[in-house]
Amino acid sequence: MSSSEVRREHVGRSVGRVDGAAKVTGRALYVDDLPARPGELHGAAVRSPVARGLLRSIELDPAFDWSDVTVVRAEDVPDNVVALLVDDQPVLARTRVNHAYEPVVLLACADRGKLERAVAAVRLELEPEPAVLELEAALAAETVISGPDNVQSRYLITKGAADVEAEDRVAASRAAIERALAGCEVVVSGRYSCHHQEHLYLEPNGMVAWWDADGLHATGSIQCPYYVQKGLCRGLRLPAERVHVTQAVTGGGFGGKEEYPTMLALHAALLAQKSGRPVRMVYGRREDIEATTKRHPAVCEVTTGCDRDGTLRVLSLRALYDAGAYVTLTPVVLSRGVLHAGGVYAWRDARIEGLSLATNTPPSGAFRGFGAPQTLWAIERHVDRVARELGRDPAELKRQNLLRVGDSTPTGQVLRGSVGLAECVTAALEASGYRDKRAAPPRVVGRKARGIGCSVVLHGAGFTGSGERRLQGKVAVDLRPGGRLCIRTASTDIGQGTETVFAQIVADAAGVGLADVDFATPCTTHVPDSGPTVASRTVMVVGSIVERAAQKVAARVRAEQAAAGGSFAAAGDRLLAREGAVSALEQYEPPGWVAWDDARYKGDAYPAFAFACDVAEVEVDLDTFEVRVVGFWCAADVGRAVNPVMCKGQLEGGALQAIGWALTEEVVWRDGRILNPRLTNYIVPTALDAPPFETFLVEAPFEHGPGGGAKGIGELPMDGGAPAVAAAIEHATGLVLDGLPLTPERLLAASLARGEVKP
Amino acid sequence: MSVADLARYELAVPRALPEACQLLAARVASGEPTLLCAGGTDLLVELGMAPPLGAGARPPLCVDLSRLPELGGVERVDRDGPRIRIGAGVSYLALGRHALVEGALPLLARMSHDIGGPTIQARGTLGGNLATGSPAADGVAALAAHDATVVLTSVRGERRVPFAGFQTGYKRSVRQADEIITAFELEPLAPGSPWCWRKVGARQAQAISKVAFAAVAELEGGRARRFGAAMASMAPVTATLPATRALVLGTPLAGLDGEALDRAVAADTSPIDDIRSTRAYRAHAARALARGFLRELGAAV
Ligand SMILES: Cc1cc2nc3c(=O)[nH]c(=O)nc-3n(C[C@H](O)[C@H](O)[C@H](O)COP(=O)(O)OP(=O)(O)OC[C@H]3O[C@@H](n4cnc5c(N)ncnc54)[C@H](O)[C@@H]3O)c2cc1C
Repeated sequence: MSSSEVRREHVGRSVGRVDGAAKVTGRALYVDDLPARPGELHGAAVRSPVARGLLRSIELDPAFDWSDVTVVRAEDVPDNVVALLVDDQPVLARTRVNHAYEPVVLLACADRGKLERAVAAVRLELEPEPAVLELEAALAAETVISGPDNVQSRYLITKGAADVEAEDRVAASRAAIERALAGCEVVVSGRYSCHHQEHLYLEPNGMVAWWDADGLHATGSIQCPYYVQKGLCRGLRLPAERVHVTQAVTGGGFGGKEEYPTMLALHAALLAQKSGRPVRMVYGRREDIEATTKRHPAVCEVTTGCDRDGTLRVLSLRALYDAGAYVTLTPVVLSRGVLHAGGVYAWRDARIEGLSLATNTPPSGAFRGFGAPQTLWAIERHVDRVARELGRDPAELKRQNLLRVGDSTPTGQVLRGSVGLAECVTAALEASGYRDKRAAPPRVVGRKARGIGCSVVLHGAGFTGSGERRLQGKVAVDLRPGGRLCIRTASTDIGQGTETVFAQIVADAAGVGLADVDFATPCTTHVPDSGPTVASRTVMVVGSIVERAAQKVAARVRAEQAAAGGSFAAAGDRLLAREGAVSALEQYEPPGWVAWDDARYKGDAYPAFAFACDVAEVEVDLDTFEVRVVGFWCAADVGRAVNPVMCKGQLEGGALQAIGWALTEEVVWRDGRILNPRLTNYIVPTALDAPPFETFLVEAPFEHGPGGGAKGIGELPMDGGAPAVAAAIEHATGLVLDGLPLTPERLLAASLARGEVKP
Repeated sequence: MSVADLARYELAVPRALPEACQLLAARVASGEPTLLCAGGTDLLVELGMAPPLGAGARPPLCVDLSRLPELGGVERVDRDGPRIRIGAGVSYLALGRHALVEGALPLLARMSHDIGGPTIQARGTLGGNLATGSPAADGVAALAAHDATVVLTSVRGERRVPFAGFQTGYKRSVRQADEIITAFELEPLAPGSPWCWRKVGARQAQAISKVAFAAVAELEGGRARRFGAAMASMAPVTATLPATRALVLGTPLAGLDGEALDRAVAADTSPIDDIRSTRAYRAHAARALARGFLRELGAAV
């Protein structure tokens, strides 16, 4: 059955969340709500106080009563590795520590008060070594902490004139792009930086682990059950069938529960193994902020060439990402960063180089946008700069250069369709009154100046290049008694609405009611590996096989109905009685035309891109430089909105997260330690800081997307907020800021530098 | 602190002020650890950050002040002229809604809406704000701008301390360990007089002030006959701005010089770099806010 034959009764409608009632009534059990298992202990980690050093010894205070405290050290770990891409990160530090808060010893005790005292009774004897704490220092490589030069991974993308074959492609392409730039009428350079961001999901990381005859069980607040299972198998040397990982109801993730829970599960499992008791580890906010991952800080150096009429021609961009102390997922984050670095523009010649560098900060990790917000911040700020040089309005310059169907991206990917870019730009600019507000000088009332700015962004949905083909994500839909259908998938609902939109897709695909669809608790023992819940892939990639599986099961029931009559439920029950189980297991296969060359970083990076135009209007207090976002307009090409209200919710929530990153969120470091690991001083926006949002859904369907063309949009809204806000501040004040965050203190410093206010 | 930690504290809930004073006096005399709790919005944060109690340590006694009727209420009193007495235990929520406060102490009402968020406003009190002694305390800056009188009560009786003599250093004051702050007495602001409350925080709610500016004025014949002002987060204690006040009170508004005002504000404050902001930013914002209010009063600064 092709998707055009599907009757759409649920997809496209804003049905209520299927998990909503349980969550608002408190019936939903988050990990800390799970009843204590008999004999359960609390676990805690003893962490390094220094950013880098040699671990000389671990001393347990002899005056402390250790009789009821379980102690786990590196020697107790069967295979002391957190399995991800590269085996560089230990579960527990053994001979040295590479970042502050690195776990060294684990403790468990039934009494939480005593556990706290026990942590204080462990003495780590560390010999501090010089640490590398910033990108610039890592690049200078005066202190080398990784490889020959602190460079941990690198990518090179070349297009057009820069696409040269040579032994030393790095140098040859650099020379070639410089020649191309030299031939341009207008050449503009800039340097753009951005900072760490903490996820600050409502529910901190947490895990409960226990052992029984079936092996190891771990239940926690997680995005990716199979990542956790893989890590447990490796670290504890267990076969997959003995490791049972279950997702508890999860209160937000944003990427922060992508790779980190593997570490936490290992800790809880090790303590449970040694103590012979169930162990619960639920982080407090402070530990969660200190020890878990953050968005990668980055610096991008950009030079572009264009014609005097504004036609963008040549892009040269070098992106440096701060990986932190271990590789974790950084190469993949950097990859997404370079793949989005060209932005929404049709460059003729491009050279994009990305380097990740090791530092002695806690590992940077997955965070909504996954590397793209950093390069998009750079390219959007840069095109604003080009507009300034040309004396053009930035939005008009952007519109002039938008990618269209048939154009190619820096990897040479020719856009085949589903490009709603121009519609997005038109919708957002018109709704916001951008042109009129921009035409006049900024409105100043009293000591408050208003300004408006815009950004245009794209975000690839699904794993990069050959990723989905390698991954082979699977889902199953089972027929259950009474004509019910049950979705079994490892794609988790972490608050973003997976359960609801999958139910909508299944209900339409099978022609059943929404109430007849169940969602199985994601547990590695019971659900197939759908791949991780990341990369804006859940709806577009996994949703498409959910749709197919539902169609197949329903077709069997309908055939039975046609053969022997009765209702869908009766026919289903007959089938079940006859066959015992009726189920469809589907595996994802990317569209045949997707071709990707990993070695040369060329080809179809993503089967589809979602697009957006964001417009921010700000009010800047000219006395205090406080910035308020007073309006935010977003038009996003989502392919097809499965649930419009939830889709807008994602776009607006993501925009607010982007506004926080732009204006107030800042991790403050000293000697590799975080000075503000608290809700009171790591400043995320509150409801009062949220501007009125006007969000428009543009639907340029992607032919292979479910529900008639849905694309992934989970990360897209994180991409454009910061550059739009920066452009608006520039319009209001004339202050040009190229580094995030745009705090009042930094605006004041910029104003001082321009001699506008006196020190 | 979580429910699991409750066992670590003992609780006393006195129902009247004399009972509370006696209990406190006895505890102070015996040297046993004792905590006072009004709204608990500072106390619980402090306890949450305190090191764990040692094994077998005596749990402290927490004395709940929130049910003492003597700490409640807002009323007019006469004490060398009309005053408004605000109970130290009145919540910000009640304060912000009280007709008498809205009418005669509009700055205080406005300030109350800016504290933390709705939950904090429902529990937090001015007494707790002052007793904690944080230089960032917004309520205290508002009290200081009004030159409030602090009323302290103990088994030894009641005494009144003018605000200017209350704070003695960072988190230090003239309050004795056995004294409970019972009320504040403030002079009402003449109807229609200018006032300013400006809290500069990192966001619209739940933000400790980087700088807060509180000021009231009563004008007559081109001069300020009353001018009270204070700032939070600009010095180790609430800054009461004596030089600025003297300058404003001593100069016809039309003749006030902006540079002189800047110098006075600078002399009155000693901002620092910390986790929330920078010395330079605070100094700039303080100057700008003071100038802004004086422009409203008619000064050409
Ligand atoms: C999320 C959050 C946001 C906040 N936002 C702000 C803000 O915007 N501005 C601001 O200024 N503050 C803020 N605070 C701090 C706090 O809410 C205020 O200082 C509040 O006024 C404290 O009052 P309380 O009654 O809760 O004090 P409590 O916590 O009950 O007491 C604080 C201290 O004062 C003592 N104490 C209390 N009452 C008396 C009394 N009558 N006599 C003697 N001693 C007493 C207690 O022993 C304790 O040591 C915030 C706090 C939180 C947790």
